[in-house]
Amino acid sequence: MSAEPQTASQATPRRRSPWRERFREDWLVFNHNPLGRAGLILLSVFGVMALLSFLPPLIDPMYHPMTGVDPQVLYSEGPSARHWLGTDFMGRDILSQLLAGTRVAFMVGVSAAFMSIVLGVSIGMVAGYAGGIIDTLLMRLAEIIMVLPTLLVVLMLSALFGKLNIWTIVLLIALFRWPGVSRVIRAQTLSLKSRPFIDAARVAGASHTRIVFRHIMPNVLPLAFLYMTFRVTAAIVIEAALAFLGFGDPSTVSWGMMLQWVWKTGHMFQAPYWLFPPGLCISLITLSFYLLGRAMDEVLDPRLREENGTV
Amino acid sequence: MEQAPQSKPILELRGIGKQYRSKGRLGKGGGQTVVALSEVSLEFRAGEIFGLVGESGSGKTTCGRLIVGLEKADQGELLLEGRSYGTLKGESLRAYRRQVQIIFQDPYQSLNPQLSILDSVAEPLVTNRVGDNKARLEKVLATLKAVGLSPPEDYAFRFPHQLSGGQRQRVAIARAMILGPKVLVADEPTSMLDASYSAQIFDILLEVRQRLATTIILITHSLAAARYLCDRIAVIYRGRLMETGPADAVISDPRHPYTQALIDATPKFGDCGPIKRYGTLVSPERPASGSAGCAFFRRCGLAHLGRCARQAPELTPLTLGHLVACHYTQEAPAPETGQACRLGGMG
Repeated sequence: MSAEPQTASQATPRRRSPWRERFREDWLVFNHNPLGRAGLILLSVFGVMALLSFLPPLIDPMYHPMTGVDPQVLYSEGPSARHWLGTDFMGRDILSQLLAGTRVAFMVGVSAAFMSIVLGVSIGMVAGYAGGIIDTLLMRLAEIIMVLPTLLVVLMLSALFGKLNIWTIVLLIALFRWPGVSRVIRAQTLSLKSRPFIDAARVAGASHTRIVFRHIMPNVLPLAFLYMTFRVTAAIVIEAALAFLGFGDPSTVSWGMMLQWVWKTGHMFQAPYWLFPPGLCISLITLSFYLLGRAMDEVLDPRLREENGTV
Repeated sequence: MEQAPQSKPILELRGIGKQYRSKGRLGKGGGQTVVALSEVSLEFRAGEIFGLVGESGSGKTTCGRLIVGLEKADQGELLLEGRSYGTLKGESLRAYRRQVQIIFQDPYQSLNPQLSILDSVAEPLVTNRVGDNKARLEKVLATLKAVGLSPPEDYAFRFPHQLSGGQRQRVAIARAMILGPKVLVADEPTSMLDASYSAQIFDILLEVRQRLATTIILITHSLAAARYLCDRIAVIYRGRLMETGPADAVISDPRHPYTQALIDATPKFGDCGPIKRYGTLVSPERPASGSAGCAFFRRCGLAHLGRCARQAPELTPLTLGHLVACHYTQEAPAPETGQACRLGGMG
C-alpha cells in the first residue's frame, strides 16, 4: 500500500461511493413518486412544528403548553393576535399545545415503532434462522399477541395500574406491535437462509451469531425500515386513542390529550378552533408516514417501480 | 484399494454414505428415503485436480458439500491428512475448513449482495482472527490480484451487483483461497458462465494448483472440462462410484457402460472423423430391480437380468489405478467406429 500511495488514496474515497450511489439512485426513485414527496413535505412541516415547540414558553411563561395560563382569559376564547389558535378552557394557548403535541407524537411514534422493530426483527431472525421448536414457540407467541386487541389490553392495564407514564405507553405499544414485523422478517430470513452465500459464510468459518447479524440482518433491514414507517402511524393513533379515552399520561400534552380536554369540558361543538387542529394533525401525520412508507415500498421493490414507469 | 504409489492422500473418503429422508405427514413416520451417496471411497492426493463427474442428481454436489462439512455423512468417515474428522463441530470444524474450502456453482448467489468485495473476501480472515484490519486489507488485495482482478483496489470496494459473473466467480475463488487451504472443492464453477469466462476460471484454477500445490476437487457434469483440467476422474451415478482412474484412461478408454454413455452424450465438433459410439444407454428405462442390483441397471444396455439385477458390482481394478464397478467390464463391446475423437464443448 505504502509503495503505491496514489492507488491507496484513490481507494479510500471509493469505499463509500457505492452506498452513496445507491442512496442517490433510491432517492431519485423516491423523489419521482408524488406520494412520497407529499409525505416528506408534510412530515418536514411537522418536524419544524416539533422543533418550534420549544419556542413559545421562552417568549412568555403564559405560552407554556401545560402550566401557562393567560390571566386575561377566563374561559376558552377563539383565535386572536395574542393567541393565534385561541385558548382552552383555562386560558392555555392552543398553538403552543399543538406544537408540544407534535413533539410528543414524534417521540411516541418513532420510539414505539423503533422498539417494536428491534423486537420484531430480532425475534423474526432468530425464529427463521433457528427453525424447529424455537421457531414454532416464537411464532405461536407472536400469533397469540397478534390476536389480542392492543387498545383493549392497554386500557385494561392502565385501569389496573392507574395512570400510565408516557414511556410505559410507548413500551406497551411496542410490546404489542412486534408480531407482524417478526412474521415478515422470519419469512425473509427463511428465504435468505437457503441462499448459497449463507453456506459460503459457514464454510468461511462464520458462527451462527455472525451469520445472523452480518449476513442476514443487512438483507432484512430495508424491509424493517419500511415496516417502521407503518408502525409509527399505528403507535401515534393508539397513543391518541388512549389519551382521548382518558388513559393518557396527564403530565404530557399530546393531541389525544387536547381532544380529551375538548370533549371533557363540553367544547366539542362550541370551539372548532380547539377541536380541529389536533384532529387534523393526527390525521395528517398518520397520512404523511403512510405516504412515506408507500414510497419506500416502491424504492425497495423494483417490481413496483417498473409498473409505474418511474425508472 | 490400491493406487499408484505417488504420494499419500491428503483427503480420504472412506465408505461415505448419505441418505435424505422426506418428512412423512405426521412427524417422522412414513418418509421416503433417497440415497444421495452410498459406499463412496475416494482418495485425493496432494496437488492433483480430481474430477467428480456425473449427471444432475448423481450425488456429486452432495459429495462436495460433505467434504467441506456443509452436510454430515450418515456412514463412513472423512480423513484429512490421516486424521479423522467424523463429527465436525465448533473449533475443530473451523480448523478443518481452514484446510478445505469450496467454490459454489452460482456466483450470483454465493456472494452476499450487501457486503463489499473486501468484506466478503476478508470474511475467512475475520472469522479465523488472522491479522489486523490493515494486514487483512493487504492480504485481500494481494489475493484479488492473484485471481486476475487487477488493479485490486478497483474491485475491493465494489459490491457484487457491480461485477460480472466471471468477476464474481473470481471473487469467490479469492475468498476460498485466502487462507491457503490444502483442498479446494469447485462445485461446477463454470456452469453459470459462458464459455470464454469458463476457460479463464479454469486457467485460474490451474494456476492456483501450480502456485500453491492445492488439491482441487472439480465437480462437473462435463467430461470435456474434466479432461481439460483433471489428473484423475471419478464417475458417479446415483450416489455410487462407477469408474475411477486417470483422466486420460477413463475418457479415452472408458470401461463402464455409464461412462461410455456419458461420452456418447458429449457434443463433438471440429475435424472429428467418424464418431465413435458405444450405445450403452437403453431407453425407455427398465423397471427397477429393487435396491440390491447395480445402480445403472435400469438404463444399462449391457445388463443381464440375472446378475446385474440382483448383485451390485464391486469396484475392481482393471489396470493400475483404473477401477470399474461393472460385472461385464471385460465384455464391453468395442466402439462402433474405431477412431478417437476430440471432445468439444468445454464447460
